[in-house]
Amino acid sequence: MKGWEPKIIAFLCNWCSYSAADLAGVSRLAYPSNIRVIRIPCTGRMSPKFILNAFRHGADGVWVSGCHPGECHYLEGNYYARRKFALLKNFLEHIGIEPGRLWFSWISSSEATKFVDMANMVNDKVKALGPAKHLIKTRARV
Amino acid sequence: MNSGQAQKTVGAVMVVGGGIAGMQSALDLASAGFYVYLVEASPAIGGTMAQLDKTFPTNDCSMCILSPKLVEVGRHTNIELLTLSEVQSVSGEAGNFEVTVFQSPRYIDMDRCMGCGTCAEKCPKRIVDFYNAGLSKRKAAYLPYPQAVPLKYVIDSKRCIYFQKGGRCKACQKFCPTGAVNFEDKARVRKIRVGAMILCPGFVPYSPLKCDTFFYGRHPNVVTSLEFERILSASGPYQGHLVRPSDQKEPERIAWLQCVGSRDSHHGANGYCSTVCCTYAIKQTLIAKEHSTGALDAAIFYIDIRTQGKDFEKCYVRAREEGIRFVKSKITSLMPGDDTANLMIRYTDAMGRRVEEEFDMVVLSVGLSVRKDTVLLAEKLDIALDPYYFAATSNFRPVETSRPGIYVCGVFQGPKDIPDSVMQASAAACVAGSRLATARGTLAREKPSVSERIVAGEPPRVGVFVCNCGVNIGGIVRVPEVAAYAKTLPYVAYVEENLFTCSQDTQDKIGEVIRDHGLNRIVVAACSPRTHEPLFRETLTQAGLNKYLFEMANIRNQCSWVHRNDPDAATEKAKDLVRMAVAKAVRLEPLEEVKLDVTQAGLVIGGGLAGMAAALGLADQGFPVHLVEKEKALGGHGNKLAKTWKGEDIGAFVAEMVQRVKSHPLISVHLESTVVEAEGFVGNFRSTIKIGKETEVVEHGAVIIAIGAHQLKPNEYHFGRHPNIFASLDLDRAIETDPERFKNVKGAVFIQCVGSREPQRPYCSKVCCTHSIQSALRLKDLNPDMDIYILFRDIRTYGQREEIYREARSKGIAFVRYSLEEKPQMDILGDKLRVTVMDQMLEVPVQIDADIITLASAIVPPADGKPLSRLYKLAMNEEGFFQEAHAKLRPVDFATDGVYMAGLAHGPKPVEESIAQAQAAAARAAALLASKTICMSTVVAYSHPAYCSGCRTCVDICPFGAASLDAKTGKAQINPAQCKGCGLCVASCRSGALNLKGFDQSQTFAMINEALAS
Amino acid sequence: MLAYRSKIRETARRLLTDHQVDAVIGFKKGTVPMMCQPVLITRPEDVDMLHWDSFCGVNLANYLPKRQGRIAVVAKGCDARNIVVHILENQIKRDQVFVMGIPCKGMVDRRKITRALKDQDILEVTEGADTIVAKGNSFDMPFNKADVLQDNCAICIHRNPVIYDELMGDPVPEQEGVDRYADVRAVESMGADERSKHFQDLVASCIRCYACRDACPLCYCPTCFVDESRPQWLGKSIDPTDTLTFHLLRAFHCAGRCTDCGACERACPMGIKVRRFTKKLEKDVLELYNYEAGMSLETRPPLDVYRPDDPGDFIA
Repeated sequence: MKGWEPKIIAFLCNWCSYSAADLAGVSRLAYPSNIRVIRIPCTGRMSPKFILNAFRHGADGVWVSGCHPGECHYLEGNYYARRKFALLKNFLEHIGIEPGRLWFSWISSSEATKFVDMANMVNDKVKALGPAKHLIKTRARV
Repeated sequence: MNSGQAQKTVGAVMVVGGGIAGMQSALDLASAGFYVYLVEASPAIGGTMAQLDKTFPTNDCSMCILSPKLVEVGRHTNIELLTLSEVQSVSGEAGNFEVTVFQSPRYIDMDRCMGCGTCAEKCPKRIVDFYNAGLSKRKAAYLPYPQAVPLKYVIDSKRCIYFQKGGRCKACQKFCPTGAVNFEDKARVRKIRVGAMILCPGFVPYSPLKCDTFFYGRHPNVVTSLEFERILSASGPYQGHLVRPSDQKEPERIAWLQCVGSRDSHHGANGYCSTVCCTYAIKQTLIAKEHSTGALDAAIFYIDIRTQGKDFEKCYVRAREEGIRFVKSKITSLMPGDDTANLMIRYTDAMGRRVEEEFDMVVLSVGLSVRKDTVLLAEKLDIALDPYYFAATSNFRPVETSRPGIYVCGVFQGPKDIPDSVMQASAAACVAGSRLATARGTLAREKPSVSERIVAGEPPRVGVFVCNCGVNIGGIVRVPEVAAYAKTLPYVAYVEENLFTCSQDTQDKIGEVIRDHGLNRIVVAACSPRTHEPLFRETLTQAGLNKYLFEMANIRNQCSWVHRNDPDAATEKAKDLVRMAVAKAVRLEPLEEVKLDVTQAGLVIGGGLAGMAAALGLADQGFPVHLVEKEKALGGHGNKLAKTWKGEDIGAFVAEMVQRVKSHPLISVHLESTVVEAEGFVGNFRSTIKIGKETEVVEHGAVIIAIGAHQLKPNEYHFGRHPNIFASLDLDRAIETDPERFKNVKGAVFIQCVGSREPQRPYCSKVCCTHSIQSALRLKDLNPDMDIYILFRDIRTYGQREEIYREARSKGIAFVRYSLEEKPQMDILGDKLRVTVMDQMLEVPVQIDADIITLASAIVPPADGKPLSRLYKLAMNEEGFFQEAHAKLRPVDFATDGVYMAGLAHGPKPVEESIAQAQAAAARAAALLASKTICMSTVVAYSHPAYCSGCRTCVDICPFGAASLDAKTGKAQINPAQCKGCGLCVASCRSGALNLKGFDQSQTFAMINEALAS
Repeated sequence: MLAYRSKIRETARRLLTDHQVDAVIGFKKGTVPMMCQPVLITRPEDVDMLHWDSFCGVNLANYLPKRQGRIAVVAKGCDARNIVVHILENQIKRDQVFVMGIPCKGMVDRRKITRALKDQDILEVTEGADTIVAKGNSFDMPFNKADVLQDNCAICIHRNPVIYDELMGDPVPEQEGVDRYADVRAVESMGADERSKHFQDLVASCIRCYACRDACPLCYCPTCFVDESRPQWLGKSIDPTDTLTFHLLRAFHCAGRCTDCGACERACPMGIKVRRFTKKLEKDVLELYNYEAGMSLETRPPLDVYRPDDPGDFIA
């Protein structure tokens, strides 16, 4: 058995980052196996609730990735999302979620290497922080 | 019609050749209301693409992108597959041919065969496997490849013991569980009536056995590129491990030798350039490097690197950055090395030095040749061939053979890559569709509609199918363990593991299981939903289950392929992914597809060659077209070009085309016009055309963007500062208007790649090499004594254009190679122009005095692309050319439905490719317009008015104008026809009044919770 | 204060008599000292119920959403900003509202007075220009108003209504040199664990009564997310994580919309400093997007718009 490995949830937009993750596979680029991907149509779809819910259920890290600014399949979704994310990240860190648990990136469908680099980096940083401590709903699973 | 016989136009087409081109033609025609006979000589469709590991420049897995198409062809109501079949003869004429087809026996009853593989397992006869390019063995009873369509076994009678040894063996027959083996099977001859034929028989790789200098066939570690493709492939002889044939050890040094059998006028070789080898070699080096466990030394020995296709140059740049060695050289010999398993290459390098290098393995980049059978077919059909046995075509009619009603596409028309083959395939469908327009729909059959089972109120019963993907998944993830785990999950009623869940037989099986086990949710744990979701959804539909009751777990691309070193972790992750998918599936609801009428008219933007060809393509198929051109006249760059490289007069052709466009009853031409506003969506666009001060609103179902591109005005080489410094198009015009002026010119210099293949414009402009050589030859005609120099980086006269390169050299035109680091210097010395260029061979600067200098400057993207991209929501690449939906298989479609592209706005290309692409766009648009109604996406947002606070945020932010407030209640409502399903409004709604079908809150929450539950 | 009161009554009488409005929303004096209650009157004869003093802290904008007809409303600086937010968010139309603008010098926090008097019974409170005098059986205690203002009022820099149809008094000077975000910065200087503890402790006494939400003019959703049942993802008990999640998400929903009117804190029966949540977002919105809620009818709320060059360094 290896030591403790963090649980990381990655929300990837269907058009760019999910596709980059697919390409990472096609290119056989290895990255840590403890990231669980949830496909969303667009980062614009990212309700803050999804992030809160992940932390509440014990995610050690959350990573949201979408298309680069200007490349959104839905034209503007990532621009609106960027504002929400900026406020939410600051706010969650303000109330005690450690910096380094919540990550955002723009990764296009061809950037498999960036996807892998980012996956490694997120994993390393989250691992260094140790298990999540705050905002975890201890008992009940909904 | 001759002799007064009123022959009826037949609404069916025969497509000969079931490779990617034939499949595309068949699909386009079948979707546009024609009945298609797809004739394939081998036991299964798929062609060469089915043998490829990856495809350049995106390195997509070839089988992954092909497989959904195979299945689509296999299950299309209006495509009839005739495998093991050959055309024997043709009578009749365009509109009404009678084709005699000879069908060889399969010895396996297609109706009875379940594809179980027992026959192959029991067959004692092992023979060379051609699918694996002869690198492995198969049986005499066999399946061509695992994803084959039709997924039916076949007995190779030439090698079967029963047939060769007079009735002994019969092992297959004895063991076949369904009694499908039939040794009495006989050949059949069918006479089939069709209105048109499309020939796409493909190619055969050049066989280096013809030329013993390469030691091919005599040394195991000299392989052809196609063999190497199989070595790289996970489904190949070595399961994708990079090893060499002799000892199955990993090679540390591999050499690729380019132009094997191409650009070679020696006996047995081909004089033309095979077009694709440079890029595929680069692809292979990159993939080999990925597969290699050490630091692979990959070297490409080449004459010119020809990466002229869209985005290929970037691939070349990347390869250099990743340390692939590109050695400009002439190979003098190839011999076994001191260690005889290795190979010694002797060559002369770019400086003329003799060099010797040892490699562990050598890949011969073999070219593409026309098959002998194809030449015979051409004789039977009486169509003209060019000297290299390619079908002879005009650059203006690139898919029309010499015989009316018989069309051609793919490599049989000339060496080309997959996107160009696909483009031509659609173009051929367009031209055939135009010829048979009056018979559209007369033979096509309606898809039998399967009534949908109502699942509301049923508790979820989930079926889980776990795919091994050959060894792609099963080689890493312990699939049986995942399947066993799936059985323990709530609501899971059925679990099965498959070798290939995407194969035709599994699709059929899923349908049966859905019915037999009363399943109402399906989870497939396999590859990416991005490639395979549509396929599986169709399977659900066929089984009478709403297709949205489906979810995928991506246990290949995002699991087995990326955690290859840790099967335990990969298996655990696969279980998690399956659990997450099941949790989502349980919460899926059936979604209803809304049908909308299609406005059966097209809008073509851009009145150049591509725009006119597209407009004619659509109008000839019977659809009204609005053609919008911003200039005063039609023709675009066609008005400035003199001749095609084949010598055809472009001016005359453009004039004829303009005439046809203007007089066509279905085409409305809008000159000096631009599209200023657009609304709507696929099938139902409303665009506002500004014509002078007036505006006109037109309604149309499809849009074709053909707005062209520009020639770069260079800002180097003193351009604009001397009357004798030309941009290439200006030189053409100057020669045409005043040929006398050039008769006394003593020296002319052409500088290639001006503004192309540079860091700020990392693409090849594709046409310039051919164009400059053409112009140089024209100048030689005017004054045979003229000294002409072409300063180049790589000469890219791909395909049969190589001929004019050879002609130019034979006529004494000098070609001097320069490098990007040492560009030529130019000085204006009074009247004279002087060019100084560093000679690569001599390594000294060479001075050339010239009277005229021509700059082959780049093709740059259209300035008005941006506004159009906003109007119709279209993607562009980094350089500003329009981005196709898929580089290989959807080369004329935008990701935005109902919008297509053609010509230079998509990327630099010559006239013949622009026309083919325009016709392809017309075929794609016609397939849409012919369908009369379309189903709207159901992945859309919807509102719960009771929760809505009417804050109007959704209305403000929706990029597509799909949200509004109900006039009476003030509550949010979403128009499903306009909603694209991005979910922005949903995430922005504080009141929780909006949700997104297919990605709703409860589904996403369930996935989050399950992801963290382990 | 008396001048405001008579101007309010006079204006209300005129508006109702002339049928310029269907109703007036203002304050009436409560039954106990330091308590004023909102009142809606529709008849001119009732206008003398209307009252004004420094205990009219309730944000009357909270009573506007989805009202029909024309309504006059008494509005302090912050209330007027919330009316702007309502108009932007389609909760009421500008021409429906007659804003009776109150240039405000801040509302008094009655808890500060009772605390200073150690919870002795106060029988009567009288108000002067800058002072408050609280009388009880055994005391007669003067306070400097500035010392007992609501926390949000003490740092308010928008005391004059941004929109109004008529002012109930002359504009008051705005406060200058106010340090609006000292409390936010105090938290920002803490480490993650300390912050987490800070906020856990802050809401430890929360009884999930939702008084903060009910008092907030922004919380007009027909169903609050805490009551969401598709799925019911947030527990309703006083589990610390659920409680904290409630406060977090409620505050996040107010991002770019909160005017720091203090209604939440004022309403909290447990005296929880709920503004600790909202103020961080208010500060960030100002710093990142240069936006203050309710200052203009012309600009859209910050989460309804974007700029291509918005700060994005936090995204890799």
